[in-house]
Amino acid sequence: MTPCDRIEEILPSFIDGDLAPAEADLVRRHLDGCPACAALAAGLADAGRAFAAFPEIEPSPALIARLRAVPRRRRFRFSLNVLLKPSLQPVFAAASVLAVAFSLYMASPDKKHIERAVARELHRGYSTFERLAAKAGALTDGLGAAADSLYASIKTLNPLGKTDKFSQ
Amino acid sequence: MLVDLYSKKVFNLAYQFAGNVPEAEDLTQDIFLKLHGALPRYDFGKNFTAWFLTLAKNALIDEYRRTKWEKRQRDEFDERLHAAADESDPELELVREEARKLLWSGLDALPPDMRLAVILKEIQGKKYEEVAEVLGLPVGTVKSRINRARLQLAKILRDGPAAGVKQGGIHDPL
Repeated sequence: MTPCDRIEEILPSFIDGDLAPAEADLVRRHLDGCPACAALAAGLADAGRAFAAFPEIEPSPALIARLRAVPRRRRFRFSLNVLLKPSLQPVFAAASVLAVAFSLYMASPDKKHIERAVARELHRGYSTFERLAAKAGALTDGLGAAADSLYASIKTLNPLGKTDKFSQ
Repeated sequence: MLVDLYSKKVFNLAYQFAGNVPEAEDLTQDIFLKLHGALPRYDFGKNFTAWFLTLAKNALIDEYRRTKWEKRQRDEFDERLHAAADESDPELELVREEARKLLWSGLDALPPDMRLAVILKEIQGKKYEEVAEVLGLPVGTVKSRINRARLQLAKILRDGPAAGVKQGGIHDPL
C-alpha cells in the first residue's frame, strides 16, 4: 500500500473535517507535496458542492394525477384478486357449465322436448333418491333391532356359569 | 395526503436513481402502489419517512435487478438539472455546471446500492444514520460505501468520465 493509497482512504473524512488534528496535519503535508492526491481532494470537495446544488424537480401534473388514482387502482386490483382466488375456481367452472347449458337451451328450436327430457331426468333422480331413502330407513330399522337383541343377549349372559351366592 | 407530502421526494429519488423522467414516473407510481399495499403492515412506532423510503429503495433495487436498466438511458444533463446560479463569476459557474454534468453521468458507474446511498446522503442531504436506517445497514458500512463512491466520483472529476469505467473496480453486489 503506497502512501497515496493510505491518504486516499482517509481523504473523505479529511474533507468532512472528521479527522483528529494530528491526522489532518499529516494529510495536509501529503497534499502539499502530491498533486494527484491534491486534485482528488479538490474533486471530493467539488463533488460535495455540486451534489448539494442539484435542483429538485417538480413532478408533472399528469404524474400527480396518476398517483392520486393509485388507491382506486389498488381497490380494483384487490377486487380482481378476490375473484382470482383458487377456492372460487370450482364455482366459476360450475357457473360456466350452467351458462353453456342455458345458452344451448335458449338457442334450441325445440324447447318443449328439452323441458320434457329435463323433467323426466328430474323425476327419475327424485325416484332414485326416494328408493335410497327407503333403503336407508330399512337399514336403520334393521340395525336398531340388531342392537336391541344384542343388548338383551348381553343382559342374560353369565360367562362363568356360576350362580350368585349373595342372591341365594 | 401522502401524494402531497411525498410525491416530490419519491419522484426525485427515482429520477436521480434511474436518470430519466419516464422511467422515474413509472417507478414513482409503482412505489405508491406498493405503499398502498403495505400500509396495513405499517408499525406506528416507526419513523414513517424512513419506512417509506426503505420501501422505495426496495422497489428501485428490485426493478434494477429485474431489468438491469437494459432499456434505460440516463437523460442528457439539461436545463432541468441546472442549479440556480449562485456564483457571480460566470467562468466558475461554468466549471461547476461541468462538474454537475460529469457527476450526473458518473452516477451510472456506481452499483445501485451505492448510488442510492450517495443520492440520499449527498443530494438529498440525509444524515449517515438516516441513510443507514433506510438501507438497513450499520452506519459504519454505509459511511465506508459512501466514501468509496465519493472517491470514485472525485476521480471522474479529476481524470474525466473514463475514470468511472477504468475504476469500475467497485464490485456490483447485484
